[in-house]
Amino acid sequence: MKPFDPVTLAVPGFIVLVIAEMLFVRFTGRGRFEVRDTATSLMMGLGSTIIGAIFAFVFVGFARLIQPYAFFHIGWSWEAAVICFILDDMRYYWWHRASHRVRWLWADHVNHHSSQHYNLSTALRQPWFGVLALPGLLFLTPLILIGFPLEMILFVHGINLVYQFWIHTEAVDRFPRWVEAVMNTPSHHRVHHATNARYLDANYAGVFIVWDRMFGSFVEESKDDAPRYGIVGNIASFNPLKVATHGWVALASDLSKSKSPREFAFYLLGKPGWSPDGSRDTSDSIKARWAEFRAAQSPGE
Amino acid sequence: MNAQALQLLISVAGITVMVAICWALFGRAMGSLSSAEDAVTTLARDIPGFRAGEKTISRDGRAALIEDVRDGAIYLAIIRGGDVVTRKLSRGLGLKRDGDRLELRLKDFTLRKADLDLADANAWETKLKVLAA
Repeated sequence: MKPFDPVTLAVPGFIVLVIAEMLFVRFTGRGRFEVRDTATSLMMGLGSTIIGAIFAFVFVGFARLIQPYAFFHIGWSWEAAVICFILDDMRYYWWHRASHRVRWLWADHVNHHSSQHYNLSTALRQPWFGVLALPGLLFLTPLILIGFPLEMILFVHGINLVYQFWIHTEAVDRFPRWVEAVMNTPSHHRVHHATNARYLDANYAGVFIVWDRMFGSFVEESKDDAPRYGIVGNIASFNPLKVATHGWVALASDLSKSKSPREFAFYLLGKPGWSPDGSRDTSDSIKARWAEFRAAQSPGE
Repeated sequence: MNAQALQLLISVAGITVMVAICWALFGRAMGSLSSAEDAVTTLARDIPGFRAGEKTISRDGRAALIEDVRDGAIYLAIIRGGDVVTRKLSRGLGLKRDGDRLELRLKDFTLRKADLDLADANAWETKLKVLAA
């Protein structure tokens, strides 16, 4: 079977759906668009595609390097592709979780979260310098070592990414309970993009929300706490180059100020927001303060 | 034309069309703070337990300064596009005053400068100088 790239095929569909969502939002008021934010997100998507293609050799080279050590040699079949899809989705969950908890990976992934808007164009706001987030390659290793063909891994991951496009919307409220129980949906992913303290570091799933339920990171969207989107300390620029580099610039600045190997290691591999004197906020400290504040507001709960 | 060039062309054309439609449907939304209370609301949502003390708003409604009475921290709230961006101001802040105009220079990659036109610029300059020292 000859594989194809699902993302490339989906591009015209992305364009049609973004325009359809704009019209929907304009006439119903459900959702928000802002022209500079949208332009930035779209430019980020284009830049990510071009730079990703240029540096694809790093990813492919790494895969080819470890492929000879695979335990099995799995051929192309639909059954194998389905299993590969499910395992790749679990791999995605752990990569995504690490990308929110390890500063080195967050320096890259933060770009995807840097919009204060949540619409289909936000899905296309993708990082440019994934090649610098080297530890991300480790998450690819298990699938290759099991013995899935690289082309199959790329194919199923492409489907995964296409699925994730449409969940970046406020236009869809909720699906029937069984769908919300198993699948990642717009409601679950709105939580993931929210900066409200109760929603921080939650819902890392790609396609199946069951991973979050299994590994304790699931948070339900609450009608009483509408998601506010973006990052803790929102960026103040629509310049795609600044958006693409701001996480890396901040990391490099902290690394250059580190006074010991320990500080260097914690800046690089610790949680985003870690600082030697604890003067900065991490998502954990924000959530702890929020829980304290809530307890003080309603001591009976 | 090869497939990659065609894909790039479709993407660029698609972006142009999407941005043009977005502009036509939503215009260039410029946010503004109707009062310093708007900024307080944003900060209270983002910072658990935040309690606003003294506050001031720029005459153009594009920026505000708010004190947190719990620890004396001063926050800047500034409009970017249709949204509000906030920053806790800290040591190393650069300050320049020209009459009622106060210019803040921040060590921040995406927010280097903020201009405020304040009725009480003198008082806030004094407060910020203490913080910046």
